[in-house]
Amino acid sequence: MTGRLCLLLTALLVVCSLAVVSAQYKARSLFIELERASSTARQLDVDWAQLQLDQSTLGKNARIEELARRDLNMVPLTAARTQYLTVGDK
Amino acid sequence: MTRMPPRTTLTNGRVAASKGVAFSSNPILQVKLPAWRSRFVLFVMFAAFLALVARAFWLQGVSTDFLQKQGASRYARTLELPATRGKITDRNGQVLASSVPVKAIWAIPDDVQSAPPEKLRELARLLEMSDTELRKKLDSDRSFVYLKRQVEQETSDKIVKLGIAGIETRKEYKRFYPEGEVMAHVVGFTNVEDAGQDGMELGAQKTLAGMTGSRRVIKDRLGRVVEDIESIREPHDGRDLTLSIDSKIQYIAFTQLKEAVEKHKAKAGGIIVVDAKTGEVLALANMPTYNPNNRSVLTGAQLRNRVVTDTFEPGSTLKPFTVALSLDTHRVTPATVFQTSPGKMTIGTATIGDSHAHGPLTVAQIIEKSSNIGTAKIALQMPPEEMWEMFTTVGFGQQPKYGFPGAVAGRVRPYKSWRPIEQATMSYGHGISVSLIQLAHAYLIFARNGDIIPLSFTKVNDSPIGQRVISENTALQMRRMLETVVAPGGTAPQAQVPGYRVGGKTGTAYKIEGGKYVRKYVASFSGIAPMSDPRLIIAVMIDEPSNGQHFGGPVAGPVFANVAANALRALNVPPDSNVTNIIIPKEPLEESM
Repeated sequence: MTGRLCLLLTALLVVCSLAVVSAQYKARSLFIELERASSTARQLDVDWAQLQLDQSTLGKNARIEELARRDLNMVPLTAARTQYLTVGDK
Repeated sequence: MTRMPPRTTLTNGRVAASKGVAFSSNPILQVKLPAWRSRFVLFVMFAAFLALVARAFWLQGVSTDFLQKQGASRYARTLELPATRGKITDRNGQVLASSVPVKAIWAIPDDVQSAPPEKLRELARLLEMSDTELRKKLDSDRSFVYLKRQVEQETSDKIVKLGIAGIETRKEYKRFYPEGEVMAHVVGFTNVEDAGQDGMELGAQKTLAGMTGSRRVIKDRLGRVVEDIESIREPHDGRDLTLSIDSKIQYIAFTQLKEAVEKHKAKAGGIIVVDAKTGEVLALANMPTYNPNNRSVLTGAQLRNRVVTDTFEPGSTLKPFTVALSLDTHRVTPATVFQTSPGKMTIGTATIGDSHAHGPLTVAQIIEKSSNIGTAKIALQMPPEEMWEMFTTVGFGQQPKYGFPGAVAGRVRPYKSWRPIEQATMSYGHGISVSLIQLAHAYLIFARNGDIIPLSFTKVNDSPIGQRVISENTALQMRRMLETVVAPGGTAPQAQVPGYRVGGKTGTAYKIEGGKYVRKYVASFSGIAPMSDPRLIIAVMIDEPSNGQHFGGPVAGPVFANVAANALRALNVPPDSNVTNIIIPKEPLEESM
């Protein structure tokens, strides 16, 4: 009887040990995945900052004015050539 | 292993003998060994065990910390968690300053010496320096030499690819300023360590700067992080800063100022646009300026933020405060007449004068024509203490609290030491020094129906509570007077804006060099627009205009007009006037100095 119990407990012990090993392994691979994801997130942050910067650089007023004047032949508007509309025009 | 007793030997000998081999007769077994030998062996073995125990105690007990550290260093790593500096944006979220990761290239000179020359030549090319320059840097006794800092990621990748031993990279950040020179004085700049040096970068350094964190991890054979072994010290990114600046208005102000400074061949200039409703600074520009992205050649003149850090004698732009005080204390009404003939007035030993003899003028006309004598006469009715209090309440001579580095207090001497002549000259802005930003701030009392609110360089969400300085009625009367200044009969018809009612006051003052007035001028204009419901205060200062004109009206007036017209349109402020054709008289009135 004791011999059988011993055998059973031994088997249980082996199974548990294997489970611990596999759990640890899984934890580590998941952790690596998490690491990779967070580094991607960081990279995306950097990219986003860079894109915002590019947007500002390309959309700065000096550049827009230059393009409007040179390529599109636009001129600044004056009050004399502006028609103002008010809501519920009298 | 003791020697066997002779009896046993005999017995064994007999057993062996029965099998035919007589061991007992073996002469070797008969050798009598001395007793100390066996004891010696026993002792040696005991000593060996003792040594093992001692060694185990040494490893487990005494040097365990050291050994564990050594072990940990083979799998555990401390990773630096970088924190980025906060972005600076304008009020509409447009990025004005942003940090981008770059690399610093450094070298261990001894290791690099052995590198093949063609690779070093390639390295020099990538670092944009000459071969000899690179060699000079590498020819060093130190074990750590920066070759170049703030190298862009792409270039650094190429350098790493060269695979030169002893060349390493380190992550750092570079600050980019997309608006460049337009925003230079507001935003400021950082140094290579990413620490603020000027402008708001310095003013808000504490909140902008990030705090780097760190974490201890276990890395596997392939260098991947598999586990955290200590709690993570989280990095804290710097907080983003939203300025009150509107980049559209800033651009308008900057281009107009630049044009004026060039047109009048002026030494310098400054302009500030303030939102009268919230006290936010919408634009602040200086000439000369610099490009914060490329600061290799910088002069003090370029760096100088004249609007905030320079004081000047404002001249006539201060007259409205004297008049407002007098109106507010019911000493005069706008219709009270003062005799300004013959254009000269002697107080004590000194004589002050107007540029023209105007004859009798009402208080309103004194502002319109900018008469020094009129203003002085108004001022001399009042005790110095009241005037001093007025100047102090609107911020002159007071240390400003804008959160902007380098802001100066200006100078208003204590009223107890005022002599009558000084009180008279101070009433029209001489013998007192203010900065342009203080001037714009003080004009809030006219634009805001009599109260004053603090200025802010960051976006304001709820409108601040004002401190009343003059009554609402006085503010309204003053606005009417300021409007006449830009009318054809005033000193600044050039400041008219088509479609909007505007007003302001011109100022022209001699500069002081070495304690003496010299024939160099500061032309200024401080104005409010639109008059029906003031939204903007624009103050312009042109330092040493030297192209024929030097009066505030023709020099600073048009800058005000152009900025006001464009800024009001940009802000979608509806026009409050039908006048679209501006008439500027051939020979407009020159103001008094």
